[in-house]
Amino acid sequence: MSVDFRAQQSKNQRKTFFLLSVMFVLVGIAVWAVGNLFGFGGTMMVPIAVGISLIGVWTSYWKSDSLVLKMTHAQIIDHETAPALFNVVDEVRIAAGLPMPTVAIVVDSAPNAFATGRNPDHAVIAFTTGILDIMDRDQLQGVAAHEMAHVANRDTLVTAVAATTAGILAIVADMGVRMAFFSRRENNNPMAMIVSLVILALAPLAAALLKAAVSRKRESLADATAVQFTRNPAGLRRALEALDSDHTVVKERSTAVAHVWIESPLDGRTKDLFQTHPPMAERIATLRAMEGGIEPGAMS
Amino acid sequence: MIALIVVVALVAIVGFCLWGFNTLRRKSINVDEGYAQIEVQLTRRADLIPQLVETVKGYASHEKTVLEELTRARAAVSQAKSSHEISQTASADGQLDRALVNVNAVAEKYPDLKASANFLALQEELTATENKVAFARQYYNESVRQLNTAISTMPTMLFVGIAGVEKREFYEVPDAAQRQAPDVDLS
Repeated sequence: MSVDFRAQQSKNQRKTFFLLSVMFVLVGIAVWAVGNLFGFGGTMMVPIAVGISLIGVWTSYWKSDSLVLKMTHAQIIDHETAPALFNVVDEVRIAAGLPMPTVAIVVDSAPNAFATGRNPDHAVIAFTTGILDIMDRDQLQGVAAHEMAHVANRDTLVTAVAATTAGILAIVADMGVRMAFFSRRENNNPMAMIVSLVILALAPLAAALLKAAVSRKRESLADATAVQFTRNPAGLRRALEALDSDHTVVKERSTAVAHVWIESPLDGRTKDLFQTHPPMAERIATLRAMEGGIEPGAMS
Repeated sequence: MIALIVVVALVAIVGFCLWGFNTLRRKSINVDEGYAQIEVQLTRRADLIPQLVETVKGYASHEKTVLEELTRARAAVSQAKSSHEISQTASADGQLDRALVNVNAVAEKYPDLKASANFLALQEELTATENKVAFARQYYNESVRQLNTAISTMPTMLFVGIAGVEKREFYEVPDAAQRQAPDVDLS
């Protein structure tokens, strides 16, 4: 059965929208629980939580290009220093109709790549020396297209929105649970109190799960968008297969930048539901299904 | 109360008109940008030719036809660029494609040429510019598809007149190989 990349794109966009909506509803439920426990005065902590989360996430979102370059010690390259890599990125950005991003190389033997930046004008795409060593031109083009797709789909922004919402929930829940131990507020409905406490205790966990689910949908979406750019699912599919069979992982294992890599550097450390990336086998199967539907060079 | 409803309705109508107008104009600008990108990438591809001719001459100077074909293709590209005609650009594009395919075929006969550092460096640039031209065509045709759809579907088709946009033609490279496909005699 062949799969159409446009259908894949709209499916993943719909799911992202749904997941983010659920996160916003969750914030509403948490605010209700706080109000129930501590009355109207208690809800005053919500703006504080929103403020802290906004400042924390959005400063790093705004500076994401320079921050990530610094954290991964990436070297910026141009057409003189790495012609083939620069050309491959130039090709896919023409296919995407976007400005040329900053291209960088991270010295690391583990094959991987990432994209970041607050908008297409500040985009950065980086490749490890490991990925440049093992991949041919077609595979590299697939990877570059996947990263360019993250830029085109504004995934730094989507991730920032999900992270902010998860941050708000974590802070509200933390403050709420602490306050519950110290306050002696009279309430004639103990059942509602218990429900509220349970909600607050579980909210951060639910938020973390939803955040990971959003990240997985954006990865699948980027795979489909990459096919839209190159019309060559086989290139990206072979690239993912090469990544899958390689067992070295990037040294920068920090969870802070884990979501930006094409292949999760934290593989195997977390359970399925917390994974930031869909299983490789699933991504490869979807791309293989797309290969049936596209003739090389076909226009639509 | 009635005044409020009238104001809200007016704001909604003006907003709707602005949206329709801008949507069409943006799609039209995308098409223009897409076409400009094709010209830029095609010119870059053609600009590799003098260097390529020099390199090939060093090893296969008597392959005159192929070399002349290259020079002609380059001239066709610069001519098409000044004309701004899609059909002319597309035909120069096809001519350039064929000339470069022929050079590669000739290069197969000269192992020294194929192995030379100059030729290898040129190969990467030729592959890259070929892909860039192909992707620029794809982006242009996708933009045309979106513009033409917006022009012929509701509600954007209501604003075609005031936005002053028109349907554009797709960019199709005349492919000599395809037209010369062998005739199948079924009699």
